[in-house]
Parts: sequence; structure tokens; C-alpha cells
Amino acid sequence: MSAEKTHLQSPCTLAPQAKVRENGTMSINQLVFDPPALDPMTSAPLRAVSSLTGPERMRLHDISVFYDGAAAVKQASLSIHQGEVLALIGPSGCGKTTLLRTLNRLTELTPNASHSGTITLDGDDIHELEDTKLRTRVSMVFQQPNPFPMSIFDNVAFALREQSRRRPRRRELEPLVKQALQRAGLYEEVRNNLDRPALRLSGGQQQRLCIARAIANNPEILLMDEPCSALDPRSTAVIEDLILQLRSDLAIVIVTHNLQQARRVADRVAFMYLGDLVELGDAGQLFEAPREERTREYIAGAFG
Amino acid sequence: MLERLRRPWSDDRAERVLGAVACLTAIAIVLMVVFVAERAWPTFSHDGLAWLGGGGSLDSQVNAMVNTSAHPPASVYFLRAWPLIYGTLLTAGFAVIFGLAVSLLTAIFIVDFAPRSVQRVMTPVIRLLASIPSVVYGLIGILVLVPFVGNHLVTAGEKASVQNVVQLTGAGLLVSVVILTVMITPIMTALITDALGSVPRSWHEGAVALGLNPLRATIAVSLRAVRPAVVAAAALATARAIGEAIVIDMVSGGNAFTPKPQDGLIFLFEPLRSLASEIIDQSENVSEPALRSSIYAFALLLMFSGFMLSIASRLVRRPLRKYELSN
Repeated sequence: MSAEKTHLQSPCTLAPQAKVRENGTMSINQLVFDPPALDPMTSAPLRAVSSLTGPERMRLHDISVFYDGAAAVKQASLSIHQGEVLALIGPSGCGKTTLLRTLNRLTELTPNASHSGTITLDGDDIHELEDTKLRTRVSMVFQQPNPFPMSIFDNVAFALREQSRRRPRRRELEPLVKQALQRAGLYEEVRNNLDRPALRLSGGQQQRLCIARAIANNPEILLMDEPCSALDPRSTAVIEDLILQLRSDLAIVIVTHNLQQARRVADRVAFMYLGDLVELGDAGQLFEAPREERTREYIAGAFG
Repeated sequence: MLERLRRPWSDDRAERVLGAVACLTAIAIVLMVVFVAERAWPTFSHDGLAWLGGGGSLDSQVNAMVNTSAHPPASVYFLRAWPLIYGTLLTAGFAVIFGLAVSLLTAIFIVDFAPRSVQRVMTPVIRLLASIPSVVYGLIGILVLVPFVGNHLVTAGEKASVQNVVQLTGAGLLVSVVILTVMITPIMTALITDALGSVPRSWHEGAVALGLNPLRATIAVSLRAVRPAVVAAAALATARAIGEAIVIDMVSGGNAFTPKPQDGLIFLFEPLRSLASEIIDQSENVSEPALRSSIYAFALLLMFSGFMLSIASRLVRRPLRKYELSN
């Protein structure tokens, strides 16, 4: 019995508190999100200033990605820090999603894609890690909610079950599933219906379920590819709140077309245009005082 | 007249006409079942359910039914059909198990692993294979496989060891199963490929993004999602294998023997007869009353197993579809 417990503990049950302390750089109390102050104009929560940014987790060095030899991303370099939300903005087809999918090596599934440059996760080249291991540490939420045709419970428990050598019992999984659903802000809505088909949830609930599924075994980085573009404004607001709360435990990289959204959730913003990483800066600086002409024009609505 | 037909039909009229056609089909099926059951009745009234069991040589029981009077005595009706039922189950069972394994792997390969070019060739080729008339497979079996097995796989010693009981010519269980498997695999592969192909790519991608390797993602998500289609494909293939008459008749050997696993390797080469192939075999003797009734009884059993198969596959599929969007 105890052996079973410890086995389950090791891959997936590091409590968020423990994880943060382990890094030794901040206390959980600093990160706890007080009830957000509301912006009097929009009644949206005001962003906390990005003084929370923790240690660097991922670093991209001169990353270029090619499809059939044509560069979709050109020599992008940036770093990703624990506790921050990094937004990738820019017009469609400018390499944001490609760059995002390079971070968990999902571009490798595209047969004619290749890349140059290095990406490190905690100092290790991600191309020397096993891809399946990497993807448990760098998790992803997609543009279209993609819950599996299973129950809500089985969706959230999916990665936990797949990653344990022995099939864990439901009783062992229950607290982990509950925790993930709580972090994704879905638990109260589904607590009595965990065995319902996930596909019967609303679009916004499905996307939060996918977030719960992605964070169930405590990844270090969460990639989000336009997670709200298929959702209504109300669900979008719920997910944005969620992003602000989740970032205390992990680093979030989010691709968005929606500048308002980037302004609301991001600590730092990277603007990409035609494969170039044009400008990277603190959200406030990039939106208020962009250094690059192209950024200024894009933000002013000149193109894209 | 044509003008009248081309005028749009009212809903009322469409409902009546289409309903009538549908009823006709249903009535035809019911009438057929009743007719066959009525014709098979003498066999069951004489033998009872013991008819399904074993006992004695089926071939000699059948031979005793030939050249009797128009009103044969009750003893002539004696028949124990187990060798035929056993032969049917054995061949169809092995063929479906092997065929299912091969078609699952093939379908997974085509949908999730094959390069585009291979996909484009294999999908239509498999459909083409599925449409080959089964007698062609039987021909290849009798002209190529039976002599090959008879000359190269069965040793003279093995033939001699059982020559007083049964002739090992090469025609038998092994060739029957091989040919049946080849016959039913393409249609199963085509059906499973279609089902896997219609699974949203986002499910597979989602599973890979959670740290599963592509094969595991296919098994854990895509294959899981298409379990109902796999069951349906297997049921269809089983029905085809059970009902296949000509092919089995061509490659299964000369008599209604029951291959015995305890015979060791020889088991694979022993001849057998299935229900459907026995019907073919005896079709020239339908004028004999007892034999005619027996043949109808075989047909009734085949129909019954077909219905059972269809009901069973529905029952199995229902719980598997619980989490689908539309059910």
C-alpha cells in the first residue's frame, strides 16, 4: 500500500506549494492572488504588476523553424520565467503557433518541418530529452477545446493514468483530479457529474476541462494556443482569470490574436511579424511605448 | 404519366409509399423465416434439440437419408449436426481473430503512420480487395494452397498415421482459415480505417501533447473511440465467414470430420465441413424428404446465428457509445 502511494507521489503529486518552495526564490504567500481589484471602466480585474517573475525555466536561442525549407520562424531568442505569462501576439500566419509548438516539439509531428537553434528547459536541451517526457513537463492547451470522448473524470485522469506504470485505482486518482479541476475553476460546476461525458459540457467548460487535463500532473510550462478564440466573452473572462491565478505555479506562454487579452493577462509580450520576433518587452512598455515601428503600427491597428 | 411522377410528392404520400416499401421488406424477411422454419420442422420434431449435439458420423447419417421412400420412417431423420456447427465455429472463429488482429494493425498504420503517398495507394487497394468475389479466393485456395500444404507441409508419416480414419490431402482447417481470413480482412480493414480516419485529429494531437507516443495515443484515444465500429466490423466479418459456402466447400476436404486439437499438428490439416458448405454439397439431393428437411434446418440455424450476431453486436456496442456526443 505504501509502495503504491509513493509511486504515485513521485511523478505527479508535487503540491504546488512544495514546488515553489523548492525553487527557494519566493514564498507562496507572495503569490497568492488577492481578490482582484476591478478596473472601474471595464470591471475587468486589474493586472498585478509583473514583479512576481521567478527564475528562468526555458530559453530559446536563435530558433528558426522551416516548413519545406521556408522559414516560418526566423531566429527567435527569448526566455520564459516561472510565474509569468508571456503572450505571443501578431497577425495570422506569422509564426506564433509554430513557435509555441516548437516548445514541446509538437512541430516534429509535421513531416516536412525542421528547425535550427537550441531550446533549453532548466538548462537541458529539449531535443536531448525524450519527447514524451518533455511533453509532460511542457503541457499544452489548444485553440479548439479537444476533450476526449470519455467521462470528465477520465479526461482529467488521462495523463495521470498513462504516466504511471501500474494502473492507479480511482480512489487514488480522485484527490488529484479534484485538485486539477479546482485549479481550472471547473470543480464546483461538475462535482456531482464527474462521470458525465466530457463532450456534453459547454465550450467554455470544455476548454477549462482541457486546462485541468493539461495541469493535472503539474507541468512546469503551460502552452496555450489561442485558448479563447472559440469561446464567448463570458467564458473568455473566466479563462483569463484562470490564467492569472495559474501563473503563480508555472510559466504560461499564450498565443493570442486579441490585443486586449494580451494586455489583460500578459506580464511580457512578444510581437511577431512574418516570422520575425520583432519586439519583446514588459506588457506595459510594449503597449504604451513600443520601440519598433512595426509594433507601433500593429498595436494601432495598421495591419493584421 | 411522367409529368405526374415528377410533380413533388406531398409528405403524406411520401410517408405512405416509403412506409409500404419498408413494410414489404420486413414482410418478405418474416415470410422467409416462417417458410424455412416450417420446412425444417420435421427434422426438429424427430430429433429435438439433440440435433444440435454430436454422435456418430454425420456423413453416414446424411447418406442414410438418400434413396428413401416419399414417407421415410422416423429413424431416417436421425442426424447430429455438431460436426457442421463445430466446423463453422472453428473456421469462422479463427478467421475473425486473425483477421481482426491484422486489420486493426493495418488500419492504425494507414491512418496514423503511413506517409501520404502510401495512404493514397493503400486505401483504394484495400477496397478493391474487399470487392473480389469470394470464389476467386476459393480457386486460389484449391489450386495453389491445397496442393502446397498437401505436398510440403503434411509429411507422408502424418498421412499414414491417420489413414484409417481420415485422408489428409492438404484440404482442411488450415487452408480454410487462411482463405477465410484473407477474404474477410479487407472489408474489416476498410471499415476500421474509415472509422479511425473520422476521429478528430485534435484528439490524437491532444494525447501526444500530454506525453503519449503516437502509437499509444492512437490506442488510448482513437482506437478507444472507434470501439463500436470495430465491433460492428467484426460482426459483419463473422457473418460473412459463417455464411461462406463455396470457398469452404472447395478447400475444406472431403468429409464432415471434426478436427481434434489433441491430435497435435495434424489438427491443422484435418478436413471439416461447415453448415453452409454442407448445404451446397447436398443441394443435388433436395428431392429426398428427410435430407431436404435437414438442409432447411441448417439454413434456419445459419439465419438464427446471423440474427444473434446482430443483436449481440448491438448489445456490446451500446455501453461503448456512452461517451459519444450523439447517442
